[in-house]
Amino acid sequence: MTRINHTFLLIKISIIAFMIGAISLPSFLELASPFWLLTFFTYWLIYSNGKNVFTSAFILGILLDVFQGAILGQNALALVLSSAFILNVKKSFFVSNITTQQVYVFFSTLIYLITFLLIHLMFNGLDIKWLILLSPFISALLWPLIRFTLAKIK
Amino acid sequence: MRLLKLFVPVFLSIILIVLDTRFSYLDNFKKFTLTLLSPIYVIVDLPSQVIDWVNDKGADNEMLISENGYLKAQLIELKVRLQTYNNLALENQKISKLLDSSYKIPNHNVKLARVKSISQSRLSKKIIIGKGSNDGVTLSELIISSDGAVGQVIQVTPMFSTVRLLTDPTQHMPVKNSRNGIKGITKGVASSENSMIIEFIPLDSDVKIGDFFLTSGIGNSYPSGYLVGRVTSIDDSIDASFLSISLQPTQNMNNLEFVLVIKGKND
Repeated sequence: MTRINHTFLLIKISIIAFMIGAISLPSFLELASPFWLLTFFTYWLIYSNGKNVFTSAFILGILLDVFQGAILGQNALALVLSSAFILNVKKSFFVSNITTQQVYVFFSTLIYLITFLLIHLMFNGLDIKWLILLSPFISALLWPLIRFTLAKIK
Repeated sequence: MRLLKLFVPVFLSIILIVLDTRFSYLDNFKKFTLTLLSPIYVIVDLPSQVIDWVNDKGADNEMLISENGYLKAQLIELKVRLQTYNNLALENQKISKLLDSSYKIPNHNVKLARVKSISQSRLSKKIIIGKGSNDGVTLSELIISSDGAVGQVIQVTPMFSTVRLLTDPTQHMPVKNSRNGIKGITKGVASSENSMIIEFIPLDSDVKIGDFFLTSGIGNSYPSGYLVGRVTSIDDSIDASFLSISLQPTQNMNNLEFVLVIKGKND
C-alpha cells in the first residue's frame, strides 16, 4: 500500500464512521454503541502503515467535535490518547488472536470514555446515563464484525 | 520523539477545549467546518427520502381520499378554534387600549422544517432540521412543535440547522408560570429522557403540581407564550434557597417529525 492509499483508506473509513454516527438510534442503543470513529481508526492504525497518527487522530477528533456539536477538542483529546495506547501495543495487536484484540479494543475504548467523561464532568457535572459505560464492552464484542467489514471495504 | 508528537496534539486539544468553553473565537471555524461536513447528513438522510418518495408514489387513492377528508375536518375544527382566539385577541387589544397598556399580542412568523436526525451525540440532546441559512434560519431562534417548545437553534449551515433540545442539560430557557406569572429558568436533566428542572424560584412561591410553564421571553432571546412543560414534582426542602421543581415537557421529544422555526424575538 502506498502512502496515498493509506490516506485514502483513512478518509474512506472516517466518512463511513461519521455516517454511522449520524444515524438516529433509540436512546439506549446510541448510548451503548461503540465510538465508531475510534473503532474504525483503530483498524486503520493496525492494518495500514499510515504516518502522522496523532495528527490524523487530532484532525478527525476535531471534525467529530464540530459534527456532533460537542466541546471542541473533547473527541480530539480522547482519540489522540486512545491512539497512543493502540500505537503502543500495535505489534502485539497485529499478531494476536481475536480475543486478545477484543481486550485491546476494550481498553482503548475505556481510555476514550474516561477522557470523554472527564471533560464532560468538568463542564457539565456528573449528570450522565450509566448505560454509556457499556460502550467499551459493546465495542469489544463488535470488533470481529467491524474488522471483517472493514477488511472487505479495504 | 514520539512523546513530543503526542504532546503537541494533546496540548492543542486542551487549548481548544478551554477556548471553546470560555470564548466564542472559534464559532466561525465551527460553522465553516460544519458546512463542509453537512453533505454527510444528505447521504444519511437519502434512504428515508427514498422511502418517503416510494410511500408517496405507492399510496393508494382510497387512502389518500380518506386522509384528505380527515385533514379537511381537522382544518375546519382548527378554524373554528381560531375564531375564538381572534375574538379573544380583539378583546385583549380593546382592554389594552382602555388601560393604556403598551402590551401587544406578538405575531411571529413561522417556518416549517422536517426533522432529519435526532440526537447524534450521546451526552447531549440535539436534533438536525432540514432548514438552514438558505431558508433564513438564524442562530438562537426558538423551535416549537404541535405541543410546545422544542429547543433552540445552536448551529446553522446553508441546508441544515442543529437544535439543542430543552431537555439537554446545557440548555436554559426563561419561563413563567401560566397561572400566576412566577418566573424561573429551566434546565435539562442528562440522566432522564423527558425531564427538566426549574431553577431560581424562591421557596415560598406559589407553584403547584400540574401548573404549566410557558416561555417568558425575558432577556429578549425567545418569543414568549409558548408551552414548555407541566410541573410533576416540587421539593421544598428547608435547607435549599430555591424550590426544586421537576417539569415534564409538553412536547414529546422522541417522536418529532416536523417542527416550526419561530422567526423573530419579543418586542
